[in-house]
Amino acid sequence: MIQSILDAISLGGLYALAALGLGLVFGVMRLVNFAHGELITIAAYMLVVTVNLPLIISLLLTVLVTAAVAFLMELTIYRRLRGVNPAIMLIASFGLSTVLQRVYELIFGALPKSAVVAPFLNGAFKFAGLSITISSVITIVLTVVILLAMGYLVEKTSLGLQLRAAAADFRTARLLGVRSNRLISAAFVLSGVLATCVAFILVVENPEVNPYYGVNITILALVGIVIGGISSLRGAALGGFVVGVILSALNTLLGNGRVYAYSWLFLLVLIILLVRPGGFLSKGSELERV
Amino acid sequence: MPLLEVTDLIAGYGRVEVISKISFSIEAGKSVGIVGPNGVGKSTLLQAIAGGISPSGGSIKLDGVDIKGKKPEDIVRLGLSLVPEGRQIFSGLSVKENLALGLTGRKDKKGSVEAILKMKELFPVLSTHENHQAGMLSGGQQQQLAIARALISEPKVLLLDEPSLGLAPTVIDDVFDRLKQIIALGTAVVIVEQRANLVTTFAEETLVIRDGHVQSRLTPADAANLASLEKSYFGAGE
Ligand SMILES: Nc1ncnc2c1ncn2[C@@H]1O[C@H](COP(=O)(O)OP(=O)(O)O)[C@@H](O)[C@H]1O
Ligand SMILES: [Mg+2]
Repeated sequence: MIQSILDAISLGGLYALAALGLGLVFGVMRLVNFAHGELITIAAYMLVVTVNLPLIISLLLTVLVTAAVAFLMELTIYRRLRGVNPAIMLIASFGLSTVLQRVYELIFGALPKSAVVAPFLNGAFKFAGLSITISSVITIVLTVVILLAMGYLVEKTSLGLQLRAAAADFRTARLLGVRSNRLISAAFVLSGVLATCVAFILVVENPEVNPYYGVNITILALVGIVIGGISSLRGAALGGFVVGVILSALNTLLGNGRVYAYSWLFLLVLIILLVRPGGFLSKGSELERV
Repeated sequence: MPLLEVTDLIAGYGRVEVISKISFSIEAGKSVGIVGPNGVGKSTLLQAIAGGISPSGGSIKLDGVDIKGKKPEDIVRLGLSLVPEGRQIFSGLSVKENLALGLTGRKDKKGSVEAILKMKELFPVLSTHENHQAGMLSGGQQQQLAIARALISEPKVLLLDEPSLGLAPTVIDDVFDRLKQIIALGTAVVIVEQRANLVTTFAEETLVIRDGHVQSRLTPADAANLASLEKSYFGAGE
């Protein structure tokens, strides 16, 4: 029971991080970046191929490469499309996502690459007579630390203030001096950093990395964003968390019926959206912006 | 030499030309009014000067520097701020955070603290409410916040788009008193207004825009017979 609750919380936290990465970019660009999944994938590949290096070096290399890919995808593709119809940007992000999957296949092969990353996180310990996996506890601790750090960044720093202002009204933010190119680059780099965190947590549990590794979690994080309310980071993170918790709970409760977990999840999402079309944190007014 | 010199400015949206060949200039410590019927392109003109939209022709010189086609975030650093139509304060952010955003447009970060203090002195109501959500302020207070936020970058030229919009008459007087103070400190102020009478009396020169160009230029002396003028520029059948 305790293990199930821990699993639910850690999965929820993981999806919250993925949703936050998507939400940051959506906030400044009104772009649903499907290729966020490919940031998670490249980070996972990097962790696997650098597994023989000391963990800290491997993590640093991974975060550098992932942030660089995020930075470059904005610089080379999305920057040129800025101001075009949002539907076109959406299609571009689909396209980019597919292209990156092909590129990964060329570089790393179609078969999964695997390695045991951070082996000390595997295993279990006994607590009050119960067996608890180390990874679930570490995931929760890590997620809380990252969420707190992001909260600080967004709420207390000048960069965070600019991100919030740009998400509310980019035109006015620019009139006040917010440098659009730099801010959007910063949002992409941050989303790359978050993708690395997500990839690290994922790889510890599932080290079989293939070219589609990040797709699933990205789609579910998107579902979370939609139910949490797309216009606020808090809503996005909360929505991601809820999706993770629900999915984990369904997996536990459905037992052998867990193949239907997604169907139940989407049914629940539908119900939430019927009751609160703008997401749970919406105040009605937030809808008009979308 | 004028602080802001706009020559034959052309701007619009896509292929639609909204303003054609508008020229005016303004010196430090002076004010210029801009009036004209709804939809004539007053906001378009200010946006084109501030970099919100890219002009398709003409020239804009700010203190001798060509700013035409530059980005808004660069223009504000060169010393020109716009208070946009409808104030556009960040209603979900606190008053303090709105003011802090004004700091991003400063050329250098030195003097930031003093700049904020100066604004709180000029607009005491903002320091009383500094931790409140900006959306909770009254219309007049929001306008003061929008002006203060634009002034924090210490612009040489301040553009205001309909600062009286939606405000009660006594509140409007208050806002214009503040503007007088700001002009007295040496800022050049350009005011777009629906209330022709108000701005014609206030500004040294007021441009009447009609059909995308300057139809006439008024002085405070013309304010007295504005009623007949108004007929001429709002025209019959509009
Ligand atoms: N973003 C826009 N895109 C296309 N046309 C616009 C836009 N904003 C304003 N217009 C058009 O430009 C003209 C001038 O508008 P505007 O400058 O707002 O007038 P004013 O401020 O004098 O009322 C109007 O016909 C308006 O419909
Ligand atoms: Mg207007």
